[in-house]
Amino acid sequence: MTLDFDEGDELRDLRAAVADLAGRYGHRWFLEQARTGGTVQELWAEAGKAGFLGVNLPEEHGGGGGGMVELAVVLEELGAAGCPLLMMVVSPAICGTVIARYGTPDQRDRWLPGIADGTLTMAFAITEPDAGSNSHEITTTARREGDGWVLSGQKIWISGVDVADAVLVVARLADAGKGTLRPALFVVPTGAPGLSRTQIPMELVSPDNQFQLFLDDVVLPADALVGSPDAGIAQLFAGLNPERVMGAAYSLGTARLALDRAAAYARDRRVWGTPIGAHQGVSHPLAAAQVEVELARLMMLKAAWLIDSGQDAGTAANSAKYAAAEAVVHAVDAAVQTHGGSGLSQENGIGALVTASRFSRIAPVSREMVLNFVAQHDLRLPRSY
Amino acid sequence: MNIVVLVKQVPDSGTERQLDSSDNTVARASADNVINEMDEYAIEEALTVKESQGGEVTVLTVGPDGATDAIRKALSMGADKAVHVSDEAIHGSCAVQTSAVIAAALSQLEYDLVICGAESTDGRVSVMPALLSERLGIPHLSGARKLTVDGSTLKVERQTDGGFWALEAQTPAIVSTWDTINEPRYPSFKGIMAAKKKPVETKSLADLGVDAGTVGLATATSQVLDFAGRPPKGEGVKVTDEGDGAEKLVGFLASQKLV
Repeated sequence: MTLDFDEGDELRDLRAAVADLAGRYGHRWFLEQARTGGTVQELWAEAGKAGFLGVNLPEEHGGGGGGMVELAVVLEELGAAGCPLLMMVVSPAICGTVIARYGTPDQRDRWLPGIADGTLTMAFAITEPDAGSNSHEITTTARREGDGWVLSGQKIWISGVDVADAVLVVARLADAGKGTLRPALFVVPTGAPGLSRTQIPMELVSPDNQFQLFLDDVVLPADALVGSPDAGIAQLFAGLNPERVMGAAYSLGTARLALDRAAAYARDRRVWGTPIGAHQGVSHPLAAAQVEVELARLMMLKAAWLIDSGQDAGTAANSAKYAAAEAVVHAVDAAVQTHGGSGLSQENGIGALVTASRFSRIAPVSREMVLNFVAQHDLRLPRSY
Repeated sequence: MNIVVLVKQVPDSGTERQLDSSDNTVARASADNVINEMDEYAIEEALTVKESQGGEVTVLTVGPDGATDAIRKALSMGADKAVHVSDEAIHGSCAVQTSAVIAAALSQLEYDLVICGAESTDGRVSVMPALLSERLGIPHLSGARKLTVDGSTLKVERQTDGGFWALEAQTPAIVSTWDTINEPRYPSFKGIMAAKKKPVETKSLADLGVDAGTVGLATATSQVLDFAGRPPKGEGVKVTDEGDGAEKLVGFLASQKLV
């Protein structure tokens, strides 16, 4: 019987290499991009060139031939260095996974190499103004016209459309009628006529932007539909567990950054002769958050491993997302408190993590929806909706 | 062009480092060991030369079994293969003894160019390239901030406090580098995955034909007899401004030879 928690040389080396790259940019650079309307494209391009963005994609399509374990580790390390790349949650993790598994050979050839090396970014659009987390109520509709498709509808809370080359849009097929969703996924180039976007101003200090999307009779060729029209539900499940794992990785990186900064400050800062970290009022909240981070990381790695080994990862991926979001909220809160007033100064940068960490409880799936899933799926409790 | 890069694993200079109280040698087993920082610049330079001139980059390291981590890092950056000299008898060797081991290992390799960092952060004796130059009878272009390869001619800008010297030599030669020479690359994912498949040859003193009695702490030319921790940082000097604050500040800086 073997149960091995050792990450192994390659994963350790990957962590070190990503930390080396991200350390050349750092949190200060990231915040400066956010505050001056800049982007993270320079780091994105460099990470893509080094193969870090496509570690999970097949080698034959330009990826690294690894899995979600490697991809999650990359994002965690970027976050720990202060420059998490949000679009990794979407482009390689959701879109890359879906197209690699369900795309036609032509679609894989067309989209994956760019997603893998970062020269192409694909956003993902599922949520709608009138549906929220209830994806069965999705109204964006695809109807056949000639050989191709015409898409109409609205999407909201779509990340990074401004830096994306295309959007993977979840729609329902017109002939499937209302009720239980039979979704189909379409690749919509961001320049497609009829597709427009409005940025949603957010109280987040982030270079990544959120958008509302309007699809007004967007005409698409036949091969915009990913795979077969019957595989939509399977495609969604294939994409959403990686999304939750990456959501966890994003949170964990930020949590580590906050704890590293706070611990360094608490070791050094003396007020009445003693480093403030010696006071349990300071150390215990940090230590408790450290415990949460480590637990969440174990669950993130387990979920990623389940996905990579082709097993059901629903509970693990949701649990990891839940735990990591709680961990980052607690870590950032403790880090701000440890710093006192300077914790909210703009120069310090920790304060910028407050809304970002709070965002983790909501996106990509809310804490409440995760608990609903676990209540029904693992505890077999009745649903209220 | 065949290039050998000398790589040493050292305790992380960013952490608190210890000497082993039993024999006053560097405590490596308990340390957070990393590749010597300056050696990363040497590796980068070797890879750059290889990219322009062709050939092969071999990593050579002398160190305990755990030094494989440093070797793997160099291989993941792009070096082609490695030689790891590992032998218990080497423990505690001084620079002179170590240079004999490295020279013996180099003699078994084909090289046009040997590149190493100008110093290691553990011993900081900074004489290894000069010792190897003497032992191997090859020119030593030291303290490079720039290296240009033109056929078999090596040109080096040797960094000094006031400027640089222009040095030139024919291969084979040894070049030592400062951290001003380049910016080391980080390993790519493919590099990391490829590293484990690259050949690493482990050699003992016997394989090198070095008599174990000539190396090690017992016969070292220098030994650490005693050591003490760095004294705790004292209270700083507080300057109260009574109209002459600037003068006092400049006076302090001058007394520290900072202005």
